[in-house]
Amino acid sequence: MSAPRRVLVPAAAAGAAIASLAALALLAGASPLDALRALASGSAGSRAALGETLLRSTGLVLTAAGACLALRTGVLNIGLEGQFLAGAAAAAAVGPALAGIPLLARAAMLLAAAAAGALWVLPAAVLAAKRNVPEVLSTILLNLIAATAVSGLVRGALRDPVGDYPQSRALPDAVRLAPLFGGGRATAAVLLAFLAAALLAVLLSATPLGLKLRAVGLAPAASRAIGLPEARLKLLAFAGSGALAGLAGGLEVLAVTGRLYDPFSAGTGYAGLAAALLGQAQPVPSALAGLFFAALGAGSSAMQRDTGVPAAVASLVPGILVLAVLAARARAGRSAP
Amino acid sequence: MDGRRARFRSARDARDAGLALVPQHDLLVGAASVADNLALLDRNAPLFESARARRARVTRLTDAFGLELGRPDDRVDALPVGTRQRIEIAGALAGEPGVLILDEPTAVLSPDETAALFAALRKRAESGAAVVLITHRLAEVFAGADRLTLLARGKTVKACRIDETTAAEIGGLLIASAEQTALSEETPKIFLEGEEGEEPPELPLGAPASPDLNHPSKKSTARSAAGSAVSAVSPFTFEVTRRGTNLEVVGFRPAGSRAKQISLSLSPGELLVLLAIDGNGADTIAAAVAGLQPFAGSVRVAGAALPRSGDPLAFRAAGGAFVPADRREEGLVLDLDIAENLALPAPPGRLFLDRTAMRARAAEGMAAFAVRASSPAIRAAGLSGGNQQKLVLARELAGVPRLVVAIHPTRGLDLAASAAVRARLAGACGAGASALVVTADPDEAFLYGGGVRVVTRGALSDLLPEGTPPSTLGRLMAGLAA
Repeated sequence: MSAPRRVLVPAAAAGAAIASLAALALLAGASPLDALRALASGSAGSRAALGETLLRSTGLVLTAAGACLALRTGVLNIGLEGQFLAGAAAAAAVGPALAGIPLLARAAMLLAAAAAGALWVLPAAVLAAKRNVPEVLSTILLNLIAATAVSGLVRGALRDPVGDYPQSRALPDAVRLAPLFGGGRATAAVLLAFLAAALLAVLLSATPLGLKLRAVGLAPAASRAIGLPEARLKLLAFAGSGALAGLAGGLEVLAVTGRLYDPFSAGTGYAGLAAALLGQAQPVPSALAGLFFAALGAGSSAMQRDTGVPAAVASLVPGILVLAVLAARARAGRSAP
Repeated sequence: MDGRRARFRSARDARDAGLALVPQHDLLVGAASVADNLALLDRNAPLFESARARRARVTRLTDAFGLELGRPDDRVDALPVGTRQRIEIAGALAGEPGVLILDEPTAVLSPDETAALFAALRKRAESGAAVVLITHRLAEVFAGADRLTLLARGKTVKACRIDETTAAEIGGLLIASAEQTALSEETPKIFLEGEEGEEPPELPLGAPASPDLNHPSKKSTARSAAGSAVSAVSPFTFEVTRRGTNLEVVGFRPAGSRAKQISLSLSPGELLVLLAIDGNGADTIAAAVAGLQPFAGSVRVAGAALPRSGDPLAFRAAGGAFVPADRREEGLVLDLDIAENLALPAPPGRLFLDRTAMRARAAEGMAAFAVRASSPAIRAAGLSGGNQQKLVLARELAGVPRLVVAIHPTRGLDLAASAAVRARLAGACGAGASALVVTADPDEAFLYGGGVRVVTRGALSDLLPEGTPPSTLGRLMAGLAA
């Protein structure tokens, strides 16, 4: 990355975030400063607030990591949302069946979730490799199929026989993860998410496989001519990216909801992709972007309560940020030598 | 047009006004049939037309122009490029355009079809239409044109009636302007790279050119082509020469082309230069050998048969090395640094990258190939063209390859860097590799120290005697008799 880009992009992001928040607060007839203060205390002002932010960040950090792996290898996986749902469904199916042995149940849920996420991206990966079907389209369509499948599962095969709601059987408390600290809902799942992001950063920058993946992403024609197994590396990136998103879905069931219901995801996969774009496909900055989005989400309800600024800014700000970053990147790209 | 000012807002406007263009690479609708594509191309086609009438058009055009167009119901994307090109041509001719422009229409045609096309073009011209033919091939110009305009880098070099000039004169101008283009690309860098003192080629330039197995009658030519180089060959190298071949190409042509099949073989230590004007298929032969293009026939590298669909990995696994024509797009990953580029495709280290080994390899490669950069951590994008090319060679020649395929390896480089590149390739051959080099520069052909063959329209000439003057080479490249 060139020097102007390294400075320009975060500057643009920070400026856009502050400006858009202030503008939205003004529009709502509140003082921008009060709104920011309420947002900050609502996302990190207490144990409960911090716990809420960390809880929300888990899925965002993992799907952002999945997006990073795909973007760096030159594949566009827009299907993180569907892979997240596939992972959640697999975990919800496996968990209650093994409830007798909590440790085994947890391990099986996470493995099943990662495998389901990887499998859910496979049709798109194979179609892209064999038939040149653009993965942007196929992965997005798989999202719709996944959402429909979840809706069918909670009314059919996975439906809890007890109770009136279309939802899967609840995970016993013995299996669910306990809170990390008193007063907050965050669990060890968030640690796992950040660990995955850190490991991905190491994989990409410091391993032979990572160098090959980056080469394929940066220069596909050269990689082919040099003799890198381009198709296999792209397939691997697809599967890894899907596994990370699937893991995010599994952890959502294991740590947060305890069961599958419909609709299950509020766009975690899309937000994770946005975090990766904001973090320029670098795993650690993208994880921090995911954490920031989570803080926005957690703090926005406090902001609405205290100052009347609508909680919807939580979903507006990430969009504005991503657009600002993409624009700044295009500009930096032009001015770079 | 026709003495009136014409302004076209779209290709359709132009077509309706009677101007037809046959593009170099066809723009047909791949998922539609031959009959439907021709109906779309024919500007005289009625708005509504029965399937039977559309099919009948295919037969009619096939007969009228002597061009084989495939069956009416064939899907176009399943047809070879040659047939698709003929469909474009027939579709353009069908509309009886007042102005017909053809961009390299004969690249994929057989000689018979070329003759049929020229007869059809002549007929159009005689009926009062203007025909503009864009071509690299001098013979075609003198076979049928009334006037010619020679362009080089967007400027008119010469424009005259055909009877006011000769093929020899135009051939000479063509070669001269090609050289100018090659030189001007990096002229300012001559001093930059030269001032630090280019490493002199430490290896003898003469690599032995062994007798070509497929052409026993050319033995004497091959020996004389190798010339003085043979005396410089050590007895050991000569031993190696007798064992097997590093490259064996039999009945080869690019997939879907109608070019003549070619065969050639290279023994260890042998370097062969394919000399050709761009567009004559020399680079296609080289790229297909390197696994980047599908082909028909058979290609063996060091005994291993390569898949016809094109597989760079199989080429590499057999001991192949490749120096592509476009070092920025295909040779290097510009956003990676020198050490990382040299570490590909198999970076050292098991779990983690062995950065120490990578730095050592980079330092070694940079020294051995005189890559000028302040550190191995410099991105490849920051290097000059000459240094980028030396970096490619450092990577490709590091693994002791059996066969080096190089396309325009000195294009755009200054004289010193070019000499260094040639010395490296000759050096690899001295160590038992074979090399297949494509160049468009007749002055350079014999400097590699190996055999030279000219490629015209995908066909190989015999080995040319060393010392053939560049002017003669230029005429051969242009498809004229020497």
